[in-house]
Amino acid sequence: MSAVRAAADGDAVLGLTPRVALEPGSLDEAADAMRALARDRAAVTFIGGGTDLELGAPPARLDAVLHTRRLDRVKEHAPADQIVAVEAGLTIAALQRHLAPHGQRLALDPPHPERATVGGVVAANAFGPRRTRFGTVRDLVVGVTLVRADGVVARGGGKVVKNVAGFDLPRLLCGSLGSLALVAEVVFRLHPLPEASATVAVPGLTPAEVRALARAALDARLDPVAMAALQEGDRFRLAIRFEGFGPGVREQAERLLALDPRCEALAGADEAALWARHDALRLAGDVRAKAAFPPASLEGAVRTLEPLAATLTAGALVLHPALGIAFVAGALSRAEATGSAVAAARVALRPGNGSLVLAAAPAALRAVADPWGDPPPAVEVMRRLKRELDPDGRLAPGRLAGGI
Amino acid sequence: MTARSAAGEAAQRGGAGARAVARKLAAIVGPRNVVVDPAELLVYECDGLTHGRVRPDLVVLPGSTEEVAAVVRVARDASVPLVPRGAGTGLSGGARPVPGCAVLSLSRMRRILELDLENGWARVEPGVINLDVTRAVAGAGFYYAPDPSSQSVCSIGGNVAENSGGAHCLKYGFTTNHVLAARVVLSDGAVVDLGGPAPDAPGYDLLAALVGSEGMLGVVTEVTVRLLRKPETTRTFFATFPSTDEAGAAVSGIIAAGILPAAIEMMDRLAIVAAKAATGLDWPDVGAALLMDADGPRAEVEHVSARAIEIARAAGALEIRVPRDEAERQLMWKGRKSAFAAVGRISPSYLVEDGVIPRSEIARVLRDIGRLAEEAGLRVANVFHAGDGNLHPLVLYDARVPGEEERAARLGGEILRLCIRYGGSITGEHGVGAEKAAYMAEQFGPDDLDTMQRVRCAFDGAALMNPGKVFPTPRLCGEKPGPYRPHPAEVAGLAERW
Ligand SMILES: Cc1cc2nc3c(=O)[nH]c(=O)nc-3n(C[C@H](O)[C@H](O)[C@H](O)COP(=O)(O)OP(=O)(O)OC[C@H]3O[C@@H](n4cnc5c(N)ncnc54)[C@H](O)[C@@H]3O)c2cc1C
Ligand SMILES: Cc1cc2nc3c(=O)[nH]c(=O)nc-3n(C[C@H](O)[C@H](O)[C@H](O)COP(=O)(O)OP(=O)(O)OC[C@H]3O[C@@H](n4cnc5c(N)ncnc54)[C@H](O)[C@@H]3O)c2cc1C
Repeated sequence: MSAVRAAADGDAVLGLTPRVALEPGSLDEAADAMRALARDRAAVTFIGGGTDLELGAPPARLDAVLHTRRLDRVKEHAPADQIVAVEAGLTIAALQRHLAPHGQRLALDPPHPERATVGGVVAANAFGPRRTRFGTVRDLVVGVTLVRADGVVARGGGKVVKNVAGFDLPRLLCGSLGSLALVAEVVFRLHPLPEASATVAVPGLTPAEVRALARAALDARLDPVAMAALQEGDRFRLAIRFEGFGPGVREQAERLLALDPRCEALAGADEAALWARHDALRLAGDVRAKAAFPPASLEGAVRTLEPLAATLTAGALVLHPALGIAFVAGALSRAEATGSAVAAARVALRPGNGSLVLAAAPAALRAVADPWGDPPPAVEVMRRLKRELDPDGRLAPGRLAGGI
Repeated sequence: MTARSAAGEAAQRGGAGARAVARKLAAIVGPRNVVVDPAELLVYECDGLTHGRVRPDLVVLPGSTEEVAAVVRVARDASVPLVPRGAGTGLSGGARPVPGCAVLSLSRMRRILELDLENGWARVEPGVINLDVTRAVAGAGFYYAPDPSSQSVCSIGGNVAENSGGAHCLKYGFTTNHVLAARVVLSDGAVVDLGGPAPDAPGYDLLAALVGSEGMLGVVTEVTVRLLRKPETTRTFFATFPSTDEAGAAVSGIIAAGILPAAIEMMDRLAIVAAKAATGLDWPDVGAALLMDADGPRAEVEHVSARAIEIARAAGALEIRVPRDEAERQLMWKGRKSAFAAVGRISPSYLVEDGVIPRSEIARVLRDIGRLAEEAGLRVANVFHAGDGNLHPLVLYDARVPGEEERAARLGGEILRLCIRYGGSITGEHGVGAEKAAYMAEQFGPDDLDTMQRVRCAFDGAALMNPGKVFPTPRLCGEKPGPYRPHPAEVAGLAERW
């Protein structure tokens, strides 16, 4: 039986407190809980590790929250097939601990792996610097078991990496923020743990130099797993990471060092510290924005985002030059000014289909800036999709772009 | 609701079918671009699967997104089903017409619209041939990664609809991993843009639903694909083995060693014989062969390639051949890529199957297939993507022998069931189309299929686009999910409510 209790403070979502909290401990219990919610026409938001609940608008209605924390089992791991099937409430760190003894990993490194859950990462489309080489969760998910708003359990994809039978429900759920269905179980494709790792870092770069060096590395046919530039004062430190077999990693690092005399090689604790700094910078403060743009527009994007960062206390940028993504993080001091800077940045990013999303924002900023910006071009189809899967609008209503 | 097929339904609604709107369509695309002549319609009766032909009422060939939208509106108003068609190389009957339909061919829309090497993408019309994208950017050191064996003839629009793969998808992923944006005409005539050159467009990832939807969600009129830089180094080797058991063990060993080959392909005895007959390659007569590519930066590739060869030897390889130069490498790949067609040299007719199994089960499944073939009194040649367990059993038969074609079809079906039993899939790249819709109900449950069809309803509530494909029993859109249905356990009073 699904554990049900009266909601407490820890169950709040963006300031709203539900009446009850459910904590199913199995797929059957989750389906049962969803049917009960359907019967009562209750609006529900799902909570994984609770690390990313700020993403999106506050739900328009909230009667219940459903925690996935008791859905934390590894259901199947086939090392020889490089596949793992897990329940949605398993944390990324726990999953990696299960896989490591087999020399494998999920090639996904979102922030807060100790708390972030598999379901939350799928639903929030969370990622880390290794996206440069391995893509997002969409590129790693091969199957999903979902529970619909009406309590029906459905599966999409499967347990094999290559599979084109039926519509691609697993990828469609990536980034859906719990508004289409509960993600109950996920099957991932795995990658081998690398034998070696090395990072080459270059301090003191302008945005143009960040872009030029990132490009030079790619033009030289190097194959980095991560590339990120951290703001330091008015300059950036670009970090480029290689993973793989020893000889390959060594050769690539050496070739990069030869490209620019300012490069320095990092390994071991220094390397780990630099990437930890990346995560910390990306998450600093109570305002976190993610800007997306075509990668070649990096300098323009930085010019657009610096005024936004300047409105924040200790505002700083993290750039992912190969992806066309930049994070702005800092503490809110003047909501009006930040709100206008967000609006200005959105206008500037619009060509090339760019966007700026507020992944976290205090209520004062939300009062003057929508977390998503303008409705997406295909919003009508998105609304219809929502209606097809959640006709009564009970799953995290109003949380997504376009008020979906 | 009875389970009348959507195709029948749409045809019925269409009354006189597409013929009735021929003049209206001609006014949009020009009379030369509406085909009604029975002789000319012949080639549109099927795709790469030549049985189960259906004569379309007409074929319309629009030249732009605007023309496609206008055609769709006319079809919608007259309830004429539309079957999008690219190059017609599909192997699951995806572009097979349905009665009363208009085939909407994208073959006139074959311009490369824009190349942006700084950002690494190409924006193309759907009729552009896969290999032509690579040809357009190869000089600058770029390429388009998905490489179906049919890449010199199949279209990007077809690739998007089928989520096509190829040998190098093991490392680089499928079409879905390489499409950044698409312009789509929906069944109500609306033109929508999904995705874009910038990543992470807010909202649902509708592009994910579109890729692999087999022409059932809308007509794709523009595609933006990712371009990759050509890898610095590629190392290839060809290894022979006494049987598929040792070859399968070599594949497992290579993967277990943490190696991600760019491609690793297997051929069994019959497939080798056929490839030799077709290409004149001097491959030995052996039980199995592997062809592996490693690519990437120099030192990594040298290391990986050497390790993989060691592992293949330890697994029982009889002989390892490393091509001396690019020409010899291309020849080895030609042997592999021509293996399908080559089977025609050793058998008057054959069926191409496409199923997926967990990679670690290759050896066992191949033995099971051998047993099934023996029981059916037929031969099966296997040439496939071993790295991801994507089998392509080729069932050889002689259509002139009464009953053999039926036996071959039955054997193909048994092989698909085998894939499902092993936890795999009925298709890894050729799609479900018209041919495998019946098997969908064996791989998926009714609730799974219902959920997928709701996605379809969000895009195409009128069931106008390629109706009757993929799903064994079409769902009518707008069926209101009934009021809350109590779970049997609840009725029995077993489950408590909160
Ligand atoms: C301060 C902070 C800042 C961050 N900033 C970013 C960032 O900018 N970009 C980024 O990529 N990552 C960011 N992350 C990390 C990332 O969001 C999390 O690692 C992960 O996405 C959330 O996992 P979770 O289990 O905590 O999910 P939660 O935070 O509990 O939930 C995230 C969302 O997914 C939904 N959800 C959760 N579980 C399910 C489920 N099983 N089925 C359906 N829906 C579900 C929730 O309703 C919610 O909308 C940040 C994390 C923190 C703590
Ligand atoms: C010898 C041979 C080898 C092959 N090898 C491979 C292989 O290695 N890997 C692989 O994946 N496939 C392979 N195929 C199958 C086939 O080539 C692919 O499925 C290909 O993507 C089909 O493209 P097409 O342009 O021929 O599409 P068509 O056959 O014309 O159509 C395929 C489907 O796409 C839909 N469609 C086409 N264009 C559009 C559009 N613009 N908008 C919406 N829907 C559209 C059609 O309705 C149909 O459902 C092979 C085929 C042959 C004959």
